[in-house]
Order: sequence, then C-alpha cells, then structure tokens
Amino acid sequence: MMPMLVRRLFWGAVTIACIYTLTFLMVITVPGNPFRQSERNMPPEAERALRVRYNMDDNWSYFVEFLSGAVRGDFGPSFTYSDWTCNQIISEAFPISAMIGLLAILIAIVIGVPTGVIAATKRDTAWDFGALALVLVGISLPTFVTGTFLLILFAVHLQWAPIGGWGTLAHLPLPALTLSLPFTAYIARLTRVGMLDVMGSDFIRTARAKGCDERTIVWKHAFKIAFLPVLSYLGPATAQAMTGSFVVEKVFGVPGLGQHFVNAALNLDPGLIMSTVLVFSALLVAMNVAVDVLYAWADPRITAAV
Amino acid sequence: MCCTPGLIRASRLRYKRAPAVFATSQPNRKQKRNKVNDRQTQTNSSKIALQPTAWRRFCRNRCAVTSLAVLSSLILVALITLPLSTRWYNVQSLDQGVRRPPALAPHVDKTPFALALRQNEPDAHADDATSNRADFGYEFTSWLGHDDLGRSVFYRIWPALLISLGIGLGAASMSIAIGATWGAVAALVGGKVDMLMMRFVDVLYGLPYILSVILLKIALTNPLTDLLGGQTRLAGVVILFIAIGGVSWLTMARVIRGQVLSLREEPFVEAAQASGASMGRILVRHMLPNLAGPIMVYATLVIPQAILQESFLSFLGIGVPAPIPSLGRLAADGVQAVNTFVGYWWLIAFPCGMLVLTLIALNFTVDGLRDAVDPRS
Amino acid sequence: MLFLSFGLLAALLGYVRWEAPPRADLRYANSSGIHTLDPARMSWNQDLRIAMNIWEGLTTYDPETATPTNGAAYFPPRISDDGLTYTFTIREDARWSNGDPVTAVDFLRGWRRCMEPGTATDYTFLFSDHISGVAEYVRWRRDGTALLTALKQLREGLTLDEQDAKRVLLHLQQIDHASVRRNGHPSDKITGAIDAQYLLSMNIDWASVHESAFETHVSEFDERFAAVGISAPQTNTLVVELTRPCAYFLDLTAFPTFSPIHETIELLRSGSSDSPITEEGLVVYDAQWTKPDYDRCGYPGLITNGPYCLSEWRFKRHARLKVNPYFHDADSIACRSVEMVVYEDLNAAIMAYEAGDLDFLPAMDVPYDHEIARLARNGDRPDFHLCVLLATYFFNFNCISEKVNGKPNPFLDARVRKAFALATDKAALVEQVLKRGDRVAHSFVPPSAIPGYEPPQGLKYNPEEARRLLATAGYSGGAGLPPIELLHTPRDQWVCQAMARIWQSELGVTVNLAGKETKTFGEDKANHRFMIARGNWYADYNDPTTFLDCLSTGNGNNDSGYSSLAYDTLLVQASQTHDPSERMKLLQEAEAIIVQNDLPILPILHYTSPIAIKENIEGLSPNPRMLFPFKHVRVVR
Repeated sequence: MMPMLVRRLFWGAVTIACIYTLTFLMVITVPGNPFRQSERNMPPEAERALRVRYNMDDNWSYFVEFLSGAVRGDFGPSFTYSDWTCNQIISEAFPISAMIGLLAILIAIVIGVPTGVIAATKRDTAWDFGALALVLVGISLPTFVTGTFLLILFAVHLQWAPIGGWGTLAHLPLPALTLSLPFTAYIARLTRVGMLDVMGSDFIRTARAKGCDERTIVWKHAFKIAFLPVLSYLGPATAQAMTGSFVVEKVFGVPGLGQHFVNAALNLDPGLIMSTVLVFSALLVAMNVAVDVLYAWADPRITAAV
Repeated sequence: MCCTPGLIRASRLRYKRAPAVFATSQPNRKQKRNKVNDRQTQTNSSKIALQPTAWRRFCRNRCAVTSLAVLSSLILVALITLPLSTRWYNVQSLDQGVRRPPALAPHVDKTPFALALRQNEPDAHADDATSNRADFGYEFTSWLGHDDLGRSVFYRIWPALLISLGIGLGAASMSIAIGATWGAVAALVGGKVDMLMMRFVDVLYGLPYILSVILLKIALTNPLTDLLGGQTRLAGVVILFIAIGGVSWLTMARVIRGQVLSLREEPFVEAAQASGASMGRILVRHMLPNLAGPIMVYATLVIPQAILQESFLSFLGIGVPAPIPSLGRLAADGVQAVNTFVGYWWLIAFPCGMLVLTLIALNFTVDGLRDAVDPRS
Repeated sequence: MLFLSFGLLAALLGYVRWEAPPRADLRYANSSGIHTLDPARMSWNQDLRIAMNIWEGLTTYDPETATPTNGAAYFPPRISDDGLTYTFTIREDARWSNGDPVTAVDFLRGWRRCMEPGTATDYTFLFSDHISGVAEYVRWRRDGTALLTALKQLREGLTLDEQDAKRVLLHLQQIDHASVRRNGHPSDKITGAIDAQYLLSMNIDWASVHESAFETHVSEFDERFAAVGISAPQTNTLVVELTRPCAYFLDLTAFPTFSPIHETIELLRSGSSDSPITEEGLVVYDAQWTKPDYDRCGYPGLITNGPYCLSEWRFKRHARLKVNPYFHDADSIACRSVEMVVYEDLNAAIMAYEAGDLDFLPAMDVPYDHEIARLARNGDRPDFHLCVLLATYFFNFNCISEKVNGKPNPFLDARVRKAFALATDKAALVEQVLKRGDRVAHSFVPPSAIPGYEPPQGLKYNPEEARRLLATAGYSGGAGLPPIELLHTPRDQWVCQAMARIWQSELGVTVNLAGKETKTFGEDKANHRFMIARGNWYADYNDPTTFLDCLSTGNGNNDSGYSSLAYDTLLVQASQTHDPSERMKLLQEAEAIIVQNDLPILPILHYTSPIAIKENIEGLSPNPRMLFPFKHVRVVR
C-alpha cells in the first residue's frame, strides 16, 4: 500500500505541474488585456508600468516567478482586485465553498444511495421509474432554475431561511441543497447500475439459494460491491463540490470560491485563474488518492491492480 | 457532472465478461438471432450480431421506449413547425406590447402609444405589424405567450429544442471524433505512448471545466470568426461546439481505451491477428462493431451534459449568439423574469418544461440503451 | 468517506458565526463588491461611493443638488480675478482618523500619486487637463519610466518592441553616448527597423547607461514637480494654478481622486529607502495599504480623513464603516455605522430589501427594472425613486477601419451613419423594450442638466430620409451593404436585438449580433474591431466637456475613431475661451457637428435608474450623479 501511495502522489505532482503549464499557456494565449479595469481605455505607458509591476513583462519570468511563489504557497496579487492577494481571496472563499460542498455531498449520499438501491431492487416498477424521475429532475433543470425556485419557495414565501448572503449557519442549507441535486442524481444512477450489476452475479444467487433474507443480501452483500463505483465517483465529485459553483453562489449571494473560476476567466485575471486552477487540481488529486486508498481498503483485490 | 470514472470502472468490468455470456447461455435464442441476422449480413456485412437483440431488449424496457417516443415526437413537431418557426421566431411586435401572457388568439393591443406610433408612421415596422397578420401561423403566435421583445415563445421554443439537441449532437460527435480515436490509438499503440496519452487525459480532467470552456470560447472567438469569413452567427455556434465538445471527450477516451484493451485479448481478435490481418483491418472489421455499442452509449451521455453546459453559458450571457434561441438561453432569460413583483411565468415555465421533458426523456433513453447494450443486466 | 466529510464539515462549522453581528444603522447592497479602495485607482461607482464617505476632499458634494460645498477646506476658496489661481485654506479641525491634523502636504501627496505612471490612475486627465504643468510632468514621468524600463530590459538581455528601441536610441543620442558617435547616428537616420538585437549588438554597457539615466531622473524628480501648479506655502494652505478658468473646478476637488493621503503610506513604498523610485522608474506602494488591519512594516492600517473610517473589509462579502471619531462634525452624524453587503445577484438583494434586511439599494439593475420604475413613477411604492442620471447610452460607429473582419466598413461614409441614426426608432426602444422611463437621447450631452448649456436638437426619427440617404450613399434598399456587425455585451441583448430588427425592416440590411464578455468586448471596442459597438458614458464632472472630449482626435476613449478638424478646433477654442457663455456656445457648435452631421455615435437614451430607499431613512435622495454621502443620513426607527 505505501509504495502505491508514494507512486500516486508522485504522479499527482506531475499532473499538477502539467496542469499549471497548460493553464499558463492558455492564459497567455487568450487575447485581451488583464489590466483593463473598466470600459475606459488606459494610456499605453500606464499599462506598460502595470505590466512591469505585476511581472507580466516577460512571459517566461512570470511563469517561473508564479511557480516559485506557488510552491512556497504564495500566489501573488490578483490583477482585477488589486488590493487583494490571491491567497487572501482563496482563504476567504474556500472554507465557505468547502462547507457548502461537503454538506451537499453528504445530502447527495444520504438521498442518492437509498434511491438507487430502491430503484434497483424494485426494477421496472413504478418505484424504479418514480425514484429515477425524481432525481432526474435534479439534473434536467439548470441549477440557476432550481436555485431560484428554492430561494423563492423557502426564503421568500415560507421564510425558513434568510434570503441569500453569508454569515450565519442558517445561510448554509439552501445552497447546499441546490448544489447537491446533480450529485444526488448521479449517485442514484450509479448505485442503481451497480446494484443491478451485482444482483445478477453468482454469489448473490448463492446467497439466495442459501436462504439469506433479501434485506441482508441487498445491504450486506450486494451493496458493499455496488458502492465501489460510487466511491470512485465521490473523489472528483467532492473536489468539485468543495470548490463551489458559480450559479449557486450567484443565486444565493454566497461569497464562495466558485464565482472566482468564472470571474477570473471572464476578467482574464492571470494570477487568480492560475491559483484557482491549482487549488482545484491539487484538491482533485488529493481526493483521487484518498479514494484509491479507500478502494484498496474496501476491496483488497484491487491493491494488486492499481 | 463532468467526471465519470465510476461508470467507466463499472462498465469496464461488465463489458469484459459480456461475450462469454453470449457464447454460453441461451443457445436457442442465439440460433434464432442468427437466422434473423443472416439476411441482414448479406446486405450489410458490417452490421453486428449484437444489435437486433439489443434493440429487442430495448423495446422491452417500457420506460425507455416511452421516453424515446416522447423525444421523437418532440423532434417531429419541431421539424414540422420548422418552416413556420423560421418565419416567426424573430418577429418582434414592439408596438403591440411585449411580454403578453399566453392566449389562444393574438390580440391587437390598443394602447395610445401603439396607436400613435402607427398613425405617425404608417410604414413603420410594416414587416412586424400589419402585413404579418395575413401570413399563415400568425394565429398560433400567442399560444405560449410573448417574450421581452414581443416575440412568440411558441415559435422560439421549437427551434430552440432543435438547436439545443444540435449542440448536444455536435458535442457528442466531437467527443466521438476526438475521444474514441484518442482512446483507440492509445490502446492499440500501447506502451509509452499509451501512458503519455492517458496522462494527458488525466491532466485535462484536472482542469476546472467551466474555466476551460470560457477560456476556449474567448480564445477561439476572433480567430474562428476570421476563419469563417466573418460569419458571426455561424462562428458563434461552431465555437460552442468546439468549446463544449473540447472538454467532454475525456470520458469517451478512457472508456474506449478500456474497451479496445479488453477486446485485444478476445479470441476472435487473436485469430484475426494470427491469420495475418493488418491492425487497421482488425480495428475496422472486428473491433469497431463491438465498440459501436459503448461509443453510442457514451456519446448519448454527452448530449444532456452539453445541453446543460450551453444553458450555463447562456446564463453567463455567452451562449448561442442572439437572436438564435436555445432551450438554455430561453430558460436563462426566463429565470431573470422571476421576481417578487411581477410574474412572467410563461417565460420560465414553458422553456423549463421543455428542457426537463427533453432531458428526462434523453436520460431514460440513454439508460435504456445502456441496459440493452449491456447484456448482463 | 462519510466520516471524513463529517469531520471536515464539523471542523469548518467552527468557522461560521452562529449569530449575526449587530445590525449597522444603514445597510446597503452592491452587486459586485469593491474593486479597490485606492482613491487613485478607482473608477467604479460602488468604489467611489465608499471613497466619498471615508475621504474628504477640499470640497464635498451637497447631497441634494450635487453641487460642491464645504469640505476639508473652507468654502469657497479664494479665487484670483482671472479665475486661474485657487487658494484653499484647510480647516483647523480637519483630522485624520488617528487624530493627526490634515495638511496641504497630504493633498499634495495624494494628488501627486495620481500623476504617477505606476499608479495607473484612470483619472490622471482630470489633473493634466486643468492644472498647469501637470501634463508636462506626467509626460516626463511616462517617458522616463518607459526609458528606464527599456534600459533595464536591455541590461538583462531581454527584447524590446520597436518603439522602446527607438526611445533608447534617442536617449543615447541625447546623452551623446560614445557608441552613437562611433556608429554615426544623426537623429534623422532613425527611420528604419531598430530592434533590440540591433541595440544589443552595439556592445554598450547597459548597466551603466541605466544607472546614469536613473540618477538623472531621480535628481530631477522633485525639481520637475516644483514646476507643477500645485503648492503648499503653509501647512494649511494649498494653492492651485489652472491652465484656464474652469467653472467646475470645485466640483472636481470633491471627486475622490482628489483625496489626500496620510503619510503612513510611505511605510509601504517598495524599492530602496534612499531613492523614491524603483529601477524601472516607478513609484510603487504595497497595494494592500487600503486594508484597515494591514500591519506590515509598522503600517497602522488605513487612515482616512472623511466622516467615516473603514472598520472591516471582507473580500466580496461586506465592508463596514464607523464614524471617524476625530471628524470635525463627528457629533452631528446620526448614522453611526454603515454596512455594505455584496450581493452578486441584485435580484437576491431586492428580495433581501423587501424582507427588511437592507435599507438602501443604490442600483436596481435587474431585468425587471421596468416594473420597479413603473411602481416608482405611479407612486405605488414611495420608497422607490428614479435617478435621472447625467449619463448617455449610445452606439459607436466605426469611423476609422477600412475593413472589419475582412469586410468593407460602410460606416466610413457619414451618410450611412446618418441613415442608420435616422432609421432608429429610439422611442420604441425606450418605451417598448426597456420601459424604464429613460429619456430618449438625440444629443450626446443630456439636455437641461448642465447649467448654462443646452445641447443641439439632434436628429429625429425619420425612416424616409434614412432610406433616401442610404440610397445616395449607393446602398439603395440596403443592397451592397455587408452584414452589419453589432458588438455588445450580454446585458445589452434586448436593445440590440430590437435595433437589429428595426434596421432590418427600415433599411433592409442584415445585422449580425456579436455578444461578447465584458473584457473581450472592451478589447475589441478599443481596437476598432466592430462596425457598431455599444457605448456608454457617465459624466465625471458637471460640464459638457466630460462628454465631448471623448470624441476628440486621439482621445483614449474615442472608440469610434472619429477625427474631425472642425470639431477638434472648436473644442480647443472653447478651452481657451474665458467667457463662460461664449465657451458654452462653442461647445454647442461642436456637439452639433457630431449629433447632426457626422454622427460618429448614435445616442439612444439618457439613463434613468431606479433606486430604493426605505421610508425610515432620511437624508438620502436621488441625484443625477448617484452621490450618496451618508453623513446626512438619519434613521427613524
């Protein structure tokens, strides 16, 4: 297990380095002027001075400079929000997104897994169809629609939750619920497919023949294996959920990290683009390694293969 | 929504064992199938033995069949109304009042302003006002209400469906073109090249896809518009294909690589190799028929995702170029009309209803297809 | 995984506050947060709004009339008879938020910073256009930093663009460098391709050239500034000399760009302590000096001199203001604390306002603003108000590019521009599409807004005449015109779609909409990569030139690329005219050229913007410049 972990971590680092290079190439090839603050045009000398100030005068030196900063954990200044460093922006936003994201994943597991199991065990019945249709609505509507409706229903009409913003615990559930919908749907479908797969296999037939009651078969024998694909999906999904969602944050006025992925790209803010990408990819790699470890622990046969 | 390693892992296990099941079980049905198939093989030799059963299995799935029927009838309606929609989708009726609620017959607004406008300028907006009423299709314009420019939602929603599906299909073909080729080449060449190619896929997985889509779109807009001779609208749609397709081929590449790897071990491939068939011939004649199923399934999986991604881009205001409608754009425009003061419910309800109907139908169809192609379940 | 998530979640929950902090006296919302609180760099409305409340210029704005009034200096200042010299006397009780007295030097420091190329102030032109000597100083500084940067790059063996290479060669000639003499370079020879490779091949010790240029620049640094018409003969006296009489100068001094800056900022200057500038010639401060809690190098955090000071600023979350205890009128301020909350989506902000979480919405820029405007107009909602803004929404015609995206640009012909303008049914756009109650615009400068100035009539909607003009230009019925590219941002999509349709039916042209993200849009617009592009302009001060200067030849904001000798001449004449009414007449003539004959822009409307102020808030009122000083606010609970 240890050598595997070391190997995975090594490849993770290589992957992150490649991602950094690729993002950097994208950032410098995308046309546009990161220093443009408003629609007003800037005198060329002033722009030049800003380029010097932000080390953007020479691509290669910026590449090295940013990388060496990033290795030390310093992402440098944001270009659009000149009063702030990328570190401050991320450390302000990431805990919020992480909290919402983790809660969303928890909701997704708690709702999605049983739905999937029910759909699989009662295959081709109204249960199957109904459960799936319910979760499918979750991924058939864009988040900006579901979010707006949840906001209007729970915050405006029922007044169970505050209308957007951030600061207290009451601000947490609605965005998390909205964010969880697509994940719930995906997990439910994965569980269903996995369960169907396992329920048809030999050892379940053996268990049935042995006279095990159905409940034990489903939850003890079948589920353990059917959950494996869900587990490997959870790695990237958690990374994605924890880095926030632009739409959810916009609809609910949550100051999370997701908005920066979109705004940094739209504002062409090189520092913020690269630091958000690095945070995301590092988290993704970490989650994937975590999943591999869990996988090996859950299914010892895999260790040899990985 | 973008990462699907779970499905891949599950499917890889399943497909690996699939041919064995066919070879051993259900001898009677197999013979029957062969009989049915014989005729087909004569006319079209590349048709594969799997398909008819898969189709039959699909037909037995009521839910999937219903979905497919819903989907096809929606598309059919959209196609039938296409001549009318192209005539009406962008006809604005500013002088008759915008954002009119649904009605069975269009009414002529008699506000003083509209009258004044018409009296002063009898010629003004002639195209949009008077002469329009004579044209066929005018009586349906108000069925689903009118949007912010007084355009008929009814005539915008049908082409929107086609455009959204078109974007989905475009992204799916992109993912087949890039993803399947990438995966197959990696698996066939193998060794260092395989590793490098798949590492590259890993790297692309590590990019936040929203950011990549936006950057791709910004980077490609001007060069591609130049390339297409300044045809802004066409360029706008093509860029969407590329930006969305460019990030959705990764899963396909992984799946196909796994498939090809497992197929390489199959006896019939080994037999072909032993009989001296070239690699290209093996790929086209022996592997492709077996790959068709998974390729189709994963390509259809891309469609709903692409439709949703386009709706997200529309929400940001950088989706399909206006005035072309897409379901995502209609929903994004509609959701902005949701507020606590006035309810333009028809602007959100109909596009979202159509979107939900389409995507659920698509998803069930895909599920049915997958179940059908996957013989073990 | 579950346990892991639970654990992490539990750990993070510690981060949330369980109870909301005490509510500020006044809470208002902004849609995109603060970009910067550096008064020299800001240009966004929301930034200026905070700055106006935490800094106090020599003058301030009256909350109702938006005219200048008492500020940190006694009002009115002494103005010389020729109207060129302003002598401001700073109040004895003007204090910084740490108790230090505000001095004329603080103003000098703040103003000088805005002239520095390294600061990248959007509003440098406000100084250089009006105060004598500033334009020369700014030019000298910009050239100097460009040269020093280029020399530094040569020292490091990096490449330069041609312009910089020429600059370096000229410099070598000026200092009569030996290598120039050796290679024989009379100045008239610098016409061919001069590039960095050529310079590097000249085998010069760039380090020493850079060093001597640097020393020369530093030695002139304060001497050159002394020639600028701003001086502080006494600690409480600031004398400003203008280039020409300027009726609105006291209006400018209330603008946040003209704020003073406390001396503690010097603690955060980058570079060595013995020279004022960096190797590139820039004066650069640590950009974080605007934080209330920043404490590097003994910096005490942001110190301001306005009625409020910043007590907390969280990125994209909120900013809290509290009364500056040393402010001269501190005791008379009823509203003791203000909180600005960020709502990315104004729709959510409006819902929060309706629920009572917010007291004030300075912008209600939502897709259903027509409904809000209607409620405000009908008086159904006494807390909704309409601000008639000093701002114009218009479209630029590209008057400079021969080809756009490979197609010939028909808008080089003024008749085509005029035809498109005549064919635009602005009333339909304003009253049927936007329905916000904006005023239809036929001129660039809003009518009856600036005292003493009434813009020309402009062109009225006349499709017959439009078609006739188009035919005389050789495009009868739109035949022969390429598809027209209409560049816009996502927010303009409704107006642009309606315009496209109107032009299509009136003139028979095909219009393609190119909706682009704000940054790309701005880039394309500045590079004239459009046929028609959306534009807007908000007045910076109360004078027609804030609009009209945008269309003078070579102006950085002249996106249409329009250039007319007659227009430029009239503007120059006006700037040299001392008689105010004569000056206004000249400006009016100039505007007539653009809105009646040449039409480089097509004015559509003058904005009317709805705002919401809860009825228990007194002292805030809608005004044409969207200025909201909070010190007059009184909350009735």
